[in-house]
Order: sequence, then structure tokens, then C-alpha cells
Amino acid sequence: MNGIVMVGMADVKTAQGEDILMTPGLGSCIGICIFDSVKKVGGMAHIMLPTAIGHAEGNPAKYADTGTNLLVEGVLALGGVKSRLKAKIAGGAQMFTFADKPQILKIGDRNAEAVKRELKKLGIPLLVADVGGNYGRTIHFSVNTGNLKVRTINHGEKVI
Amino acid sequence: MTDEFLSQSKLDAFREIGNIGSGHAASALSQLLQRRIDMSIPKVWMISFEQIAEIAGGMEEPQVMIYLHVNGEAPGKAVFLFPLESAQSVLRGLFQSDQQMDLLDELRQSALKEVGNILVSSFLMALTQLSGISMQASVPAIAVDMAGAGLGAILLEDGDLEDQVLFIDTELSGTPQIEGKFVFLLKQGGLEKLLGALGI
Repeated sequence: MNGIVMVGMADVKTAQGEDILMTPGLGSCIGICIFDSVKKVGGMAHIMLPTAIGHAEGNPAKYADTGTNLLVEGVLALGGVKSRLKAKIAGGAQMFTFADKPQILKIGDRNAEAVKRELKKLGIPLLVADVGGNYGRTIHFSVNTGNLKVRTINHGEKVI
Repeated sequence: MTDEFLSQSKLDAFREIGNIGSGHAASALSQLLQRRIDMSIPKVWMISFEQIAEIAGGMEEPQVMIYLHVNGEAPGKAVFLFPLESAQSVLRGLFQSDQQMDLLDELRQSALKEVGNILVSSFLMALTQLSGISMQASVPAIAVDMAGAGLGAILLEDGDLEDQVLFIDTELSGTPQIEGKFVFLLKQGGLEKLLGALGI
């Protein structure tokens, strides 16, 4: 089949076999990929903010903490085995810098930290993280190979 | 969804404010480049994250984005988006050159930031004159990157859930080869203040 499964902002999608998960234009947001390389199932979340705490009625896919959990549940529902799950993440940039105001609260960094913390809590190894910088990223993730392709406008393209 | 938050008359009033402010911004751009600049009637959006791609013309669409914070009694954010070719055209006009410009070059970027600064200041001055509400622009910041990445980061910058932010979205166009978009975001409290000052 080899279809492209599009993951929107504040969204979680799962896939299996040859399907490719993709999310475009990650700025301070983070794309989280979690997969079981034996069963060849996986999923992607596009989270926007670090924590759902204080946003009880919000969409859980929007936040690093609840979004990661939602993603794991999705991958397990496809037959993934918890102990085999691994993660790759990308995004968390700081797109704008103001000369007069070095930003104290960098939302991209906070997102990256929150995702890492949640993965650690869940005991899911983080294989690679392409986070930070000041540029946008579009990512494609192959559930089959576990390859994460990161495309940028001014900083080339790579597979991690 | 807009009706849940705001009456139609308030939205209309906000659109009219946007119209006047954007008119001043367009005329500042026109003076700067010595070209005729047309503008669309502003759209007013009660934005959700899902609409970012629509405003940006596609999540991955490369754009020059010049971003300023708006401080004062009715705080908000202002962004100019130019497709790369239009940014080239703006720069060629400013530097009076036919050369291809490097959009990542520091000098070119500061020229573009200054353009953003002039346009936003004109916009805000019109609003201040109209309402008596004081609003000032911060220094500008710039990104030459995917529109969705830039606009998403702008919306999320404060870490707030800002899916109730109100947008004014105006298309600017001129010949040769300039098209751009001016986006002004106002937070909820600011809107009330601005409309209140206008007696609406």
C-alpha cells in the first residue's frame, strides 16, 4: 500500500506495514514517533504544548504529556508490544529571536523536555532527537524501517 | 464558532478597524517602494490551530515572516508574510538593484525587518488615532521558513492556549510581483478594550 498518513497539528495517527506517517511544518511543536520494529506498527503525534495540566478540557493530542500517552495506547492497540517500543522525535525550534528580549520561556525547548520526560516515565528509549535550532521541519516516518526523514528549507534533509 | 464569542456587530467593527489600519500599512509600503499597493478587505478570524495552514497558504510554504509584538493597552502580535519572490522584489526595490538577493543575509534581513517595523507602526498609529488606546510595536524578528512552522510558533509563543485569538488577515498586492499578507492578532481582553474605546 505505501500510503502517506497525514498527521495534523494536535493530532495522533497510527500506521502499519509500508505506510509512511508525515507531519508538515513543525516549528516549536514536536513530532513524536513511537514504533515496534518487530511487529512493524507505529504512530506519530504532533504536540504543541508541554502539559495538559490546567487544560482539562483540551484535546489530549495537543500536549506532550497526554499526547505521548495517547500515541502509546494507539500503537499498543495495533499489536505493538510495550517492551519493544522505541521513540524518535523532531521539532522544538525557536523560530523567532527578538534582539531586545532574549526569551526566557522557549516553548520549543520546553516541549522537547516534556516529551523526553514523558518517554522516560513510560520507559520508552529515545533513539534520536533532532530538536532545537531556529528552523522549521517536515518529517516522514516509516513504520517499516524506523527511518525518520527530516526535511528543512535552509538546513537540508537527513534521515535519522 | 465565532458567534459563541462575539457578536456580528463586534466582528464587523473589528474588521473596519482592520481595514483602516491595513490601509495605512499598505500606503506606507507604497510610499516606501514607490509603487501602487492594493489591499483586500480584511478577513476577521476567530482562529483555531487547524486554520493556520489556510492562513499561511500551506504549512510548508516558504515565506518571509516578519514578526513584532504589540505592547500597550491592547496587546497583540503582528506578522507580515511575504512569499520569497515578493521579498526579493521588495528588496530589489529598496536596494535599487536587479540582483538576486540572499534572503538569509543579515543586511537583507534587517532591511526586511525595517519594512515590517514601518508597516506595523503605521497600522498601530491608525488604531491609536482612532481609539485613543496606546499600542507600541516591539523590535522586529524575522524567519525565512515554512509558514506553518512560523505561525504555529507565534501562536504558541506564550504557551497559552490561544485558539480564541482574533485575527485580522489582509492581502497586499502590488506590481511588479509583490504579494504579501498582514496578520494582526489581538487577545480577547484587548479586543474589548479597543471596541470599548470606540463606544461599540
